[in-house]
Amino acid sequence: MSVRLENVSFTYPGTPVGVEDVSLTIDPGEFVAVIGPSGCGKTTVLKLIAGFLSPDRGRILLGGQDATTLPTRRRELGIVFQNYALFPHMSVAENVAYPLKLRGVSADERRRRALAAVETVGLAAFAGRRPPQLSGGQQQRVALARALVFAPKALLLDEPLSALDAARRVEMRDEIRRLQQAHGIATLHITHDQEEALSMADKVVVMAQGRILQAGTPSEIYERPVNRTVAAFVGQANLWTGRVRDARQVETPIGRLSADLSGYRPGDEVCVLVRPERVAPGPAPDGINQFSGTIARDRFLGSMRRFDLSVGGGTVTVETKETSRIDTIHIAETSIQILPLDAEQNASETRKS
Amino acid sequence: MAGGGLVIDGRARAAAWRSPAAWVTGLYALYLVLPILLLVLGSFGNTWSNTLLPNGFTGRWYLQVINDPSFTRAFWTSLTVCVATVAGCVVIGAPLAYAVSSAASRGVKLAARIVYLLPIAAPAVVIGFGYLLLFSSEATPWLGATWLIIAGHIVFCLPYMLQTVVNDMRLLGLSQLEQAAESLGASFPRRFVDIVLPSLKHSLAAGSITVAALSIGEFQLTNLIAGFANRTYPIVLLQAFYGATGFACAATVVLLLLALTASASSAFTAKGASGTARAGA
Repeated sequence: MSVRLENVSFTYPGTPVGVEDVSLTIDPGEFVAVIGPSGCGKTTVLKLIAGFLSPDRGRILLGGQDATTLPTRRRELGIVFQNYALFPHMSVAENVAYPLKLRGVSADERRRRALAAVETVGLAAFAGRRPPQLSGGQQQRVALARALVFAPKALLLDEPLSALDAARRVEMRDEIRRLQQAHGIATLHITHDQEEALSMADKVVVMAQGRILQAGTPSEIYERPVNRTVAAFVGQANLWTGRVRDARQVETPIGRLSADLSGYRPGDEVCVLVRPERVAPGPAPDGINQFSGTIARDRFLGSMRRFDLSVGGGTVTVETKETSRIDTIHIAETSIQILPLDAEQNASETRKS
Repeated sequence: MAGGGLVIDGRARAAAWRSPAAWVTGLYALYLVLPILLLVLGSFGNTWSNTLLPNGFTGRWYLQVINDPSFTRAFWTSLTVCVATVAGCVVIGAPLAYAVSSAASRGVKLAARIVYLLPIAAPAVVIGFGYLLLFSSEATPWLGATWLIIAGHIVFCLPYMLQTVVNDMRLLGLSQLEQAAESLGASFPRRFVDIVLPSLKHSLAAGSITVAALSIGEFQLTNLIAGFANRTYPIVLLQAFYGATGFACAATVVLLLLALTASASSAFTAKGASGTARAGA
């Protein structure tokens, strides 16, 4: 079933914090990740869908039905919490069987279904254990099994991987995606990890200060961010504040760049975005957008190398497989995106996540 | 490997005996236990006056205590009051603790905190005097009634129960467990019975031990409201101190046993009661 938010606003009483005019659709079987910095309102969106909070304005629809005032327990949503929220006094099987017990499923039937669900997350051998006896990853699998066992209308994941260590996290991404696809369930995944969002989701929603900045496929968000905040939050980025000289050139801290500036007037302040992997090492064949400088920092990242080149009054971050010494780079015009400046223009020039 | 472990263990133990902390703890434990040991010795001693230890061995003091109707009556009154106070504190304390910790507004939480800390802050004698004034009028002639003693004890003991349970609720992350249960389809009564009570099993048990011990030993408040016919054990015990030393010792040891039994059994009962709440999950 689908989940739909229509112009939803909510403010925490006595604070200016909340979400403002949020509209969002999760289609049946779709995996939507909401990302954004701490306090951007992404968890508030989940709580509103879950019914833990009620919107001040707007509507929430589940499977096309208005659920704005429906209590949480009638919304039929599977929720996985950051800290798993497994019942410590119940065994793994009892935890998973609990939603079935609430739905009046007979003892034999719920035991059979709970054990089957526990098996699909690979924990058949642990069915009799108590949650505190399991590792974080195992507890998260139990939480997933419990959230899915009663065939909910949608699955809500509240930063489910943030309490796990790095290796387990990558493994669980695939596990969550596998289960989500097997159930064909509309899923909302809240995370502050942009890499996690890009690698898992069908659609990524970027939020800041209680508003949705952009929603789109992972590649749309990465390749065509609508503003500086989105560009800075998703992936690595060279972001320079520049002043338009004419329709062909922009003045930046690293020097004059040739780019397509149609639509901007001379003197306009703009944000210039170049992804580090789009910066080419070595001189340009035609000499356009070619810069030389000294390497300020050089990082070996296994499959590639990321270095910062000090050029003029700025820095160019470059990602390359080239291992030799580099002091000249060039940037193809097609690799340069011009974005309007937004509220976060004072943020640091280059973001390193 | 096992040998190495033993050596380290031995060294650690030797080091522990040299540490000042171990000595302080040991001396303090001795200071705590010594009076109790002397009481037990005295309760079996035939005569005990002007000597360090009592002379002779006898069981007659215990027989005297058992055969004294005012002591046996007080014993049963104390036991009844204690059991009822523990039950009352569990029954009132669990929902109240839940209300306090899940109250959304900070003002409500503060008010609740003040209200339930008041009986700790106000001396028992003050509360007792209030009761004395309130329940000695012709319209409210209930001074000395067992239920009034129980009510007094609940007021006096409840804060200790709440303190334990509210703290544990926070530590357990109970609000998130409840949200999880709610999302799975559990109504409030179901959540309370299936999740809240079983999660609080240990804290209710711990709170019950404190409440039972406090109720059994309570003197100040009870002394003012118990009247003459319905006194609890500690109040009757005070009389014993004017008689033979052996009798006083025996009567005190009985109180000690009563307190230990009450604490232990209340803990088991509280644990069992909240445990059965989720039978057949």
